[in-house]
Amino acid sequence: MTAKQPGAGVTRPGFGWAAPAAVFFLLFAIVPLLLVAVLSFTSWNGINEPKFNGLDNWTGLLHDPVMIESIGTTLLLTALGVAAQTPVSILLGVWAAGRQRNRAVLSAIYFVPLLLSATAVSVVWRAVLDPNFGVPSQLTWLFGDGNLLGTRSGAIGVLAFVGVWQFTPLHALIYQGGARAIPQVLYQAAAIDGAGRVRQFIHITLPQLRNTVITSTVLMVVGGLTTFDTVLILTQGGPGTDTTVSAYYMYQKAFKGFDFGAGSAIALVLVVVATLISLAVVRFTGYDRMRSTTEGL
Amino acid sequence: MTAACGSSGGASGGDSGTIHVLVYGDAANKVEKQLVETFNKTSPVKVVLDTVPGADYQQKLQTVINTPQAPDVFFNWGGGSIQPFVKADLLLPLDGFIAKEPGLKDNFLPSVFNSAVVDGKPYGVPMRGTQPVLLFHNKKVLADAGLTAPKTWDELVTDAKALKAKGITPIALGGGDKWPTLMWFEYLYDRVAGPGLFQQALNGDKAAWASEDSRKALATLKELIDAGAFGTNFDSVKFTDGGAPALVAKGKAAFELMGSWYYSTQQDANPDFAKSGLGYTGFPSVSGGKGDQADVVGNTNNFYSVLKKTKHPEAAAAFLKLMYSDEFVQAQLAIGNLPTTTNTVNFLDTAASPAYSKYQYDLVKAAPSFQLSWDQAYPPSAMTSIHTAVQQFFNGKTDADGFIKAMQALPTS
Repeated sequence: MTAKQPGAGVTRPGFGWAAPAAVFFLLFAIVPLLLVAVLSFTSWNGINEPKFNGLDNWTGLLHDPVMIESIGTTLLLTALGVAAQTPVSILLGVWAAGRQRNRAVLSAIYFVPLLLSATAVSVVWRAVLDPNFGVPSQLTWLFGDGNLLGTRSGAIGVLAFVGVWQFTPLHALIYQGGARAIPQVLYQAAAIDGAGRVRQFIHITLPQLRNTVITSTVLMVVGGLTTFDTVLILTQGGPGTDTTVSAYYMYQKAFKGFDFGAGSAIALVLVVVATLISLAVVRFTGYDRMRSTTEGL
Repeated sequence: MTAACGSSGGASGGDSGTIHVLVYGDAANKVEKQLVETFNKTSPVKVVLDTVPGADYQQKLQTVINTPQAPDVFFNWGGGSIQPFVKADLLLPLDGFIAKEPGLKDNFLPSVFNSAVVDGKPYGVPMRGTQPVLLFHNKKVLADAGLTAPKTWDELVTDAKALKAKGITPIALGGGDKWPTLMWFEYLYDRVAGPGLFQQALNGDKAAWASEDSRKALATLKELIDAGAFGTNFDSVKFTDGGAPALVAKGKAAFELMGSWYYSTQQDANPDFAKSGLGYTGFPSVSGGKGDQADVVGNTNNFYSVLKKTKHPEAAAAFLKLMYSDEFVQAQLAIGNLPTTTNTVNFLDTAASPAYSKYQYDLVKAAPSFQLSWDQAYPPSAMTSIHTAVQQFFNGKTDADGFIKAMQALPTS
């Protein structure tokens, strides 16, 4: 194809265009982040003046078994989320990008969980999972005594399930957009060559969705690392500390224990870990080279 | 804003400023509004009532208390909840007020008044109602099993075994909320060791947790847990979403240990059961224990504390005096609260449920010790650790040694 791309030759917008956004970002993201960094070297209960205590908060975290456990739990939940959501949302998204009858109605129903607040979702699941009056009491062959939220494996399973249930629609939506952007000529050519739907999916759709997978995975990872509201309402970090994810531990330290120094240190750990993992995903998948999926078309 | 304008002139004679009173926002604000109106009718210094929705109250208080926006008088839970403020030298000790007006102390039940005493000085005056923890039961379930409400620990264990054999969960427990689990520890420690042990531990004596009595309390409790008295899924059940109370109301469980608000909880959700099926007793005695069977634990009451930097201490003192007025007592009783003033007894007939109010009042009045809930007695930074420790001891993830170690690691200041 030799046709000139529309817009080619027009100069790129200057920095001026980004200035308003940059100012807001500086004011509401960078400045607070720096303040949190400073706070992490202080002892502050929110009442007295913050007192610098050097590395106390940091060495405290290093030797805090709950902190270490919380990072493990957070990573486990994130991994479960990515592993469960990616295949389901790709299939759902590609399906929703098609032209079947009733597609619009059905996808609208699939997207409902996305519209509900995480708080409402958690409250509803809490009621559904009540061991004595909810679903488990009716399906004792499956759930036993229904002690789902009272055991480590049960509670983590419930948290992962509720997260997947809630956020799969978002990722399906992203994949739907990605799938719609795949040039139809590819499918037409494949059909002429005699490729069936499954082969088309594996050899055209999946490779073409490469960049969408990365976008969606980064979102899932960041979302997984900052899981908070479902933990707050469903388990409050329990039983014991079994579901105390890092974001919830930060909240416990800062806003329940009024130890804002330690809370800030946990927040920074989260920022660093989330940034590193996102960078790794981008790097590992070659997204940083921004290879276009329409190259050569 | 009006406070800043009104009080900027300094405390000269005939001063007419305002004082701000910060309270936990809920249904009880009705009474507080009424009292403020009464007070403002005669006082040159006007009270402004600021209510903060309950869930946000503690955070809001903590954020403003050392700023120019701080209130003059504020609602709290006594004990550890005000300790950080006392340490930061923000609160006014009330000895001065009491010296001028002894009624500010004498008109309240001593066991309640004492839970806002920090380092030997009073920092709060009781307001609202007391919330002792009682052992509730389903009368029909007990009668059907041929049992009576237990007076001793051994009877409770026997009852539990009999109920379990009948396929009924002996004791409902909202373990998911964690604080209901804590109530069992509070009572057992009191009955086995007496109130002194916890007080010692709270004062920083970590050896108290490792003492013989402490171990005995844990072993006694463990015996009940191991007998299956709480069933197996209690950590998946909550009190706050109605799960545990429904077990008792529907006859699937026989007992529940809960604060006195349990009555109105059941009245809301299961009115018929509250009316005729709900029984209540004090916590059983433990044979050989050092604690008095009349001791109670729970939330002694809520308190009003005064900030040191208030420009109108006289007005604050005058406002506090309303907390034992007849008008206050009657208004609290009418909304189902049980005030802890000595004159409450005169108005018990006007309570929402007179028999229940009278039972509670007598219980609290006769109590040699009223132990404030552990998670309120310790400073806020200890709350999470306490909840984790009690939950892990109950579900078997940690043993007595682990529990003792966790309690010894609590910050006491």
